[in-house]
Amino acid sequence: MNDQGRLSTTRRTLLRQIGLGALGGTIAGSIGIHARAQDAKTAPQVVDAPPGHAETAAQHVPFHGRHQAGILTPRPASGIFAAFDVVVASLDDFERMLRLLTERAAFLTQGGEVPARDPKLPPADSGLLGPVIAPDNLTITLGLGASLFDRHDWLAGLKPARLQRMVQFPNDALDPALCHGDLSLQFCANLPDTNIHALRDIVKNLSEFLVLRWMIEGSVPPVPPAPDGSTPSARNFLGFRDGSANPDANDAALMERVVWTHGPDEPEWAHGGSYQAVRVIRNFVERWDRAPLAEQERIFGRTKMTGAPLDAPRASEYDVPDYAADPDGATTPPDSHIRLANPRTPKSERNLMLRRPFNYSRGVLRNGQLDQGLLFIAYQADLEAGFIAVQNQLNGEPLEEYIKPVGGGYFFALPGAAVGDYLGASLVNAARRS
Amino acid sequence: MVGHYLKTTALALALGGWATGAMAADPSLDLVEPLAEYKLYVAENTAKLVEDTTAFTDAVKAGDVEKAKSLFAPTRTSYEKIEPIAELFSDLDVSIDARADDYEQAEQDPDFTGFHRIEYGLWEQGSTEGLAEYADKLLADVKELDARINGLTFPPEVVVGGAAVLMEEVAATKISGEEDRYSRTDLWDFDANFEGAEKIYELLRPLIADDEADFTAKVDGNFAAVDEVLEKYRSADGGFVSYEELTDTDRNALSAKVNTLAEDLATLRGKLGLG
Amino acid sequence: MTSPSKGIYLAIAGAAVLAVAGGAAFWYATQRNAGTQTAADQLVTVNATTCEPNAITVPGGRRSFEIVNASDRPIEWEILNGVMVVAERENIAPGFRSTLEVQLAPGEYAITCGLLSNPRGTLTVTPSDEAAAAASEVTLRKFLGPLSEYRVYLVMQGNAAVKAAEALRDAITANDLEAAREAWHQARLPYRRIEPLAYRFSDLEERIDARAAYLAGREQDPAFIGYHRIEYGLFAENRTEGLAPFADALVADLTELAARLKQAPLDPGLLIEIPGESALQIAQGQIPQGENLYAGNDLQDLAASLEGIGKLAGLLRQVVAGVDPALDKVIEQDMQAAEAHLAAIAAEAHPTYGDVPKAARDALAADLTRLSESLRKLQPAIGMN
Repeated sequence: MNDQGRLSTTRRTLLRQIGLGALGGTIAGSIGIHARAQDAKTAPQVVDAPPGHAETAAQHVPFHGRHQAGILTPRPASGIFAAFDVVVASLDDFERMLRLLTERAAFLTQGGEVPARDPKLPPADSGLLGPVIAPDNLTITLGLGASLFDRHDWLAGLKPARLQRMVQFPNDALDPALCHGDLSLQFCANLPDTNIHALRDIVKNLSEFLVLRWMIEGSVPPVPPAPDGSTPSARNFLGFRDGSANPDANDAALMERVVWTHGPDEPEWAHGGSYQAVRVIRNFVERWDRAPLAEQERIFGRTKMTGAPLDAPRASEYDVPDYAADPDGATTPPDSHIRLANPRTPKSERNLMLRRPFNYSRGVLRNGQLDQGLLFIAYQADLEAGFIAVQNQLNGEPLEEYIKPVGGGYFFALPGAAVGDYLGASLVNAARRS
Repeated sequence: MVGHYLKTTALALALGGWATGAMAADPSLDLVEPLAEYKLYVAENTAKLVEDTTAFTDAVKAGDVEKAKSLFAPTRTSYEKIEPIAELFSDLDVSIDARADDYEQAEQDPDFTGFHRIEYGLWEQGSTEGLAEYADKLLADVKELDARINGLTFPPEVVVGGAAVLMEEVAATKISGEEDRYSRTDLWDFDANFEGAEKIYELLRPLIADDEADFTAKVDGNFAAVDEVLEKYRSADGGFVSYEELTDTDRNALSAKVNTLAEDLATLRGKLGLG
Repeated sequence: MTSPSKGIYLAIAGAAVLAVAGGAAFWYATQRNAGTQTAADQLVTVNATTCEPNAITVPGGRRSFEIVNASDRPIEWEILNGVMVVAERENIAPGFRSTLEVQLAPGEYAITCGLLSNPRGTLTVTPSDEAAAAASEVTLRKFLGPLSEYRVYLVMQGNAAVKAAEALRDAITANDLEAAREAWHQARLPYRRIEPLAYRFSDLEERIDARAAYLAGREQDPAFIGYHRIEYGLFAENRTEGLAPFADALVADLTELAARLKQAPLDPGLLIEIPGESALQIAQGQIPQGENLYAGNDLQDLAASLEGIGKLAGLLRQVVAGVDPALDKVIEQDMQAAEAHLAAIAAEAHPTYGDVPKAARDALAADLTRLSESLRKLQPAIGMN
């Protein structure tokens, strides 16, 4: 074994991880330490870790706040959605679970050193991120499913008013192994490994309470920013920009109306939370790639490359189509995806939701086709006015020929936790009072 | 040469009794008693396995499908209880307990033998035809296993680590209901795996109970919780009903407990200085 | 949103210090880093039909293997020594990898590769300083298995001794002289197997194994009880009458012995000491003089004693093999020589032990003495003075 080479490679990796490679190299070189190894080994080796970025690794999203992170937070490149069955025998158990989950999520999202343990014991951490965990923009968003409320009488009467079990829509072919759950966790981070690490940490530390039911990993392709710093909406696996018509997450008043649950018919504890609609939508990508471009664009109602509406093909994806000028749909067909989903009428303002999807790719199906699609995630103040109403409008759309929803579920993302408090405290307190 | 035995403080202390407070992380002579007790437990089970397998294979060879079916699950329990030791002998573990999907040609593979091959014949084909040779081989293998285990000095880390191994076994291949896929007698195996793990834990518990009250309370609680769930599925004859009757809720409860037990029991080796 | 965490600051600050400090600090940092992040010593990819590579050579010592499942089924990966599993990783899902760390002694091993029907690969572990050092390090841990196994042996033979004595008592109670004589022969054997430790309970030893020669009143002495008193009745007086109380007492004493053996504290020093001592006692006592003076079946007893010594020697050889392979070999040879010699004498079919010629007895005693001397060398090799 070449110890010399191994040492210097490791050293370089160490430095690069923290963004000081050039500096370290210069100083070490100038004082003549390991100069030969340095020269011989400057070129990267094939199994060196790809260069990361200290700046993005250090990005962190505050965990505590009025609302949970991971909803209005700009979506990073990688996501995991995981649904669990919950094993708790009592409200006390439930509280213990929420406190532990909060503790783990707070640690993981803020990063830090992994505690050392006696090497005779299994390590406290999977170790896949090394001895120091970088936050890497990680958010962990906790939701609860209707089944949890229905099963435990100590939660009776506390279910959010519109939380329900997802029912099959006409084009759905739901796989029971990809549906529903008592509890959902949405992990989002710059790098997939950060999400995987966080999921494994939760699975390990909460094995007593959580049984993994299903999960999907997703990603969205990063795009270099324009000179003004803006980036367009990411493309889905059908090649179209997705999310152009999303409401502005920086408009706090709009978010209060569209995303955060409120209103007298919702239980008090749920105010500040949000309904999470999740759908695993398989795309028939081979077939789609064989469809003429003009048909693809008619089906979506947008120009494929720019995302501009069909009535203003040279405009941008953010320009609003003028359906009033096209009542018969000669330019933008009435059954195109974007026109059905959002007819841009005063009435359809009620049906707004905040979409935050990822693309997924899960290998190959038995028929030899790619198993790819959209991990659709949307947040809204009112599930029925939001996702359910919009999906009902979309039923029968021409796009259905190319997509097949196979899984998903409805959850309620809890309100945020203040510093020193835990996620779900308002629910537990309400349950103790009732 | 002279210095060999001085290398290890624990040995020096154990032999010389020079000082108290030996490194807690090193194994102690106190392990000898539970290790020996465990071997006696295993020996009882292999003796029972030979006895029960004799009756089971007799029924198969006599062409008595119903009797053979009724003896299948109870016979296996002695094997499932001692799996951490039994699976040390890879050739016998394969010929006694391999499943069809371990083989390229699955059920049709000529090398597919043992309990599950006979199970396949009894339940899927509803007949003992062609099973006699598998029955003879199974009985011979089980006798050979008994002899080899009796002659084996049990490696301490295998015994202590065995509790967690049994739980990993349940978590990976039993909870999914793929073990006894033809007979659906998986709950018998579950119960035996738990009993085997609990036996090891119970034997070692006195060595860890002093300063680990939280740990033992949690493990005790989880074993009790598992028992409580399994008790619901007891059949009138003292066995278990079909795996298919296990509800999703109870399967989840078992799964959570099994994984938590696996996490906790995985620390036994470290706690007893056998990391 | 982008303020780095405390940990990152520390890492950057630490790295700056390291970078300036240069060599020594770097060495330390990279060593530490290497300790936590080193890749496995050997990558093994398991595909549908084979392992890649399929023939592996690694130096002995603590080795790590990273197993990649490139097949489309869950696999287990095992290192086998003959049929014994040395180490394994189970249920590696397709596309997943798993790391296995294992202490490997030099030798030839087999590796499994996915489906059981797939051909096995080979793992050659070459001698290395690391392996030699690990093998020669005597730790309490290496004694735990042998000590436990001996405890099991004591329990099982102790129980067998009680059972055999009960059978003897039943035959005596039934006044069946022939059956009682045969039962007496059998009843001695389990006791002889565990005598190396059992004789240390002197109160019981005096009751169980008392001999007339050591008693003032010889055969008529009231303290003459136990095995040999019964032997005297069955083989010298040729009757069962009056023996029942002795048989009952023997059962009770052996029951007490079994209970004590079950709780006897065992430690490495004791385990090392008793087989050599036992071999020497036999060489100097029973072989020249005989012990079963009335039944004359000493050869049977001696065989059982050798079994008991052999059990201990086998357990100790597990410990000494890595430390002093030459001594391990010598003990094996001495043991085999004594067994073979005894078997040869037994094959000559002497009516009683008294008919065995002195020359043969002397030769057998020499074998046992040599064995005892070899066993005595265990103390400096793996024990303490």
